[in-house]
This record gives sequence, C-alpha cells and structure tokens, in this order.
Amino acid sequence: MKRFASLALLFVIVYGLAGCTTVPKTTKQDAFPAMYEEQPKSILILPPINETTAADAKEYYSTTIQEPLGYAGFYTFPYPITSDLLKMEGIYDTELLVNMPLDKFKEYFGADAVLFTTIRKWDLSYAVIAANLTISIDCELKSTETNRSLWKYNGTVVVDLSGGNSGGGLAGLVAKAIATSINSALADYVPYARQANYRALSSLPYGYYHPQHNKDQNNPIVSQKR
Amino acid sequence: MKYVEKWIAVVFVSVGLVGCATNNQRLYDYGDYSSTLYSLSKNQNEETLAEHKSALEQIITSSKEHTRKVPPGIYAELGYIYQKENNKKEAVKLYKLESDLYPESQYLMARLIKQIEVNDASDNE
Repeated sequence: MKRFASLALLFVIVYGLAGCTTVPKTTKQDAFPAMYEEQPKSILILPPINETTAADAKEYYSTTIQEPLGYAGFYTFPYPITSDLLKMEGIYDTELLVNMPLDKFKEYFGADAVLFTTIRKWDLSYAVIAANLTISIDCELKSTETNRSLWKYNGTVVVDLSGGNSGGGLAGLVAKAIATSINSALADYVPYARQANYRALSSLPYGYYHPQHNKDQNNPIVSQKR
Repeated sequence: MKYVEKWIAVVFVSVGLVGCATNNQRLYDYGDYSSTLYSLSKNQNEETLAEHKSALEQIITSSKEHTRKVPPGIYAELGYIYQKENNKKEAVKLYKLESDLYPESQYLMARLIKQIEVNDASDNE
C-alpha cells in the first residue's frame, strides 16, 4: 500500500512537472498519420528484444503489455498462445523479423499489425539509502498489410525504491538503508513494468473498441522526434 | 457553501488523478491477469498455473457481474489451458466464445478448433 502511494505520488509529480516545463508537443494525427489511414484493429505482440542484462525484463514486459493495449481499444491476440505458435514455427528471435515482410502474420494469425518492442533499460541503481529502478522501452507498431511503421514511441519510468522517511539521525539512516535494501530485494516489479508500458502507449491513437476511437486526432502528445 | 466547494474540489482532483493513473478502467476488468501470468512465466508449476487459471475465470465472472465485455484474449487463453489439460470440449467452447465476441480472432480461433478436431479424428482411428 505504501509503495503504491509513493508510486502514485511520483506519477503525479512527474505529470505535474511535465505540465510546468515546456516540452515539445505535437498531436496524435501529426505524429502518426499512418495509424489513422490504416486503422488497424488487431495487434500481435511479438516477444520483446531485450538489450539489458536483466534476465526477468522479458517476462515483466510480455506479461504486462496486453492490458494497456486492450484498454487502448485494440484486439490483442493472447500472448501465451501466439508465442507458443511462433516457437512451433521456429521463430525464436524477434530481431530476425525486424526487416522482413510481415504479410505472413496477416496470413497466419489474421493480425492487422505487429508490435515490436525493445527493452532498452532495466537498471536497478543502488546506493545504500537510495535505490532507483529505471525502465525504458521502445515500441513500434508495423502494418502487416503495407509493412509501414504506423506508430513508434518510447516509455521511460524511474521509480524511487528508497526506504522513505524513517526519522532523523544515525538510527534513521540505518533504518532507511535496511528499508531500501528490502524494497529492492523484494520489489515486485510488475506494477512498474505496467507503468512503463502505459507510458509508452500514452501516445497511441485509440483503437476500434475505445470510446474515443477516431476522435483523438488532436490529442496533444509529447513529441519524441529527434 | 464553502464545505461543499471543498468537497467538490476533492472529488474532481481524485477523479483526475485516477484518470491519469489508471487509464479507462471502465472498459474492461483485467483483475490479477498480469501478476499471475508473470508468476506463471517465471516458474511454471501446478500452483502458478492454477492461480493464473483462476485469475482468468475470475475476470470472466467479474465481467459478467459488472456487464462489461470480457477483455480480448481471455476466453481464448483459458481455452488453451483446457486444451493442454486435454479437455477438448471446454477448449472448443471457449475458443468459440472468443470468436463470437471478437471477430478479429475468428481466423486464429478456427485454426485452433480445427487442430483439436483433426487430433480427435486421428485419435479415433
């Protein structure tokens, strides 16, 4: 409960700060016109490409991505089924698919689009009384019909796992150090992985099942064009 | 009057915060889907499988109770678990439910059902 409260507070602070500073903004339509042209209804989630040394990152990502994608209004093929089927077809490495034509996914699954994800960061930085978890994922949606890149965005989340306020003085510092190490060791990262996925999907034009589908063209988003 | 205004402000702020953090909870109810699937993915055993299966069943029950649509893929995933348990009847029933609810899944569901029926036929030879 306490962890959730501090996460919620962090979330609010980040959102609040985002409002205060001037960040380059654009609209969903301007950034991703191809999404509105093609209107993909169904998405096949591919196993993620893990660029980090965190062994768990793949599982954390793949088990928490379906929910936000569903809430965004898309039909999501059940990942446990499709990842098994892909393995049966000998497709173990998503990296090999990056530059290949995607019509087979339309043919085989009936998918309108395919989601590529690269986990860039999964860093737990630990400094006795302070611990931060940084999660950064790059997502890209590609059309199975035209092979075009329809949408591309990064989601980064920094979570403060520190022990919190445990009073002053030396005793307080020790308490905080213990609390921090417990937090880091026992941390259930599922909620944080979920937050990173939500952050990445925040710019995605809504899908067919969402009440604001095709009405969100002018929704402002933070531009990630470099 | 002042008290009422304060109360309205609190409600608006909380609704706003909830809106930011939880992103349209009204559309579906995923329950314990992610956490049980994570446990199952990390360590597949009887217990983690039973917990995830139960989470899927809970989502279906809860969705009906609150007259919400069952989220995409949930019926199918439960069907797949039954298929691996060799309960072909339940599996086909759930694949059909998925197919009816989400026409986008029709193609894949038809293939999974056909696979079961083909295996059934060759078992009976």
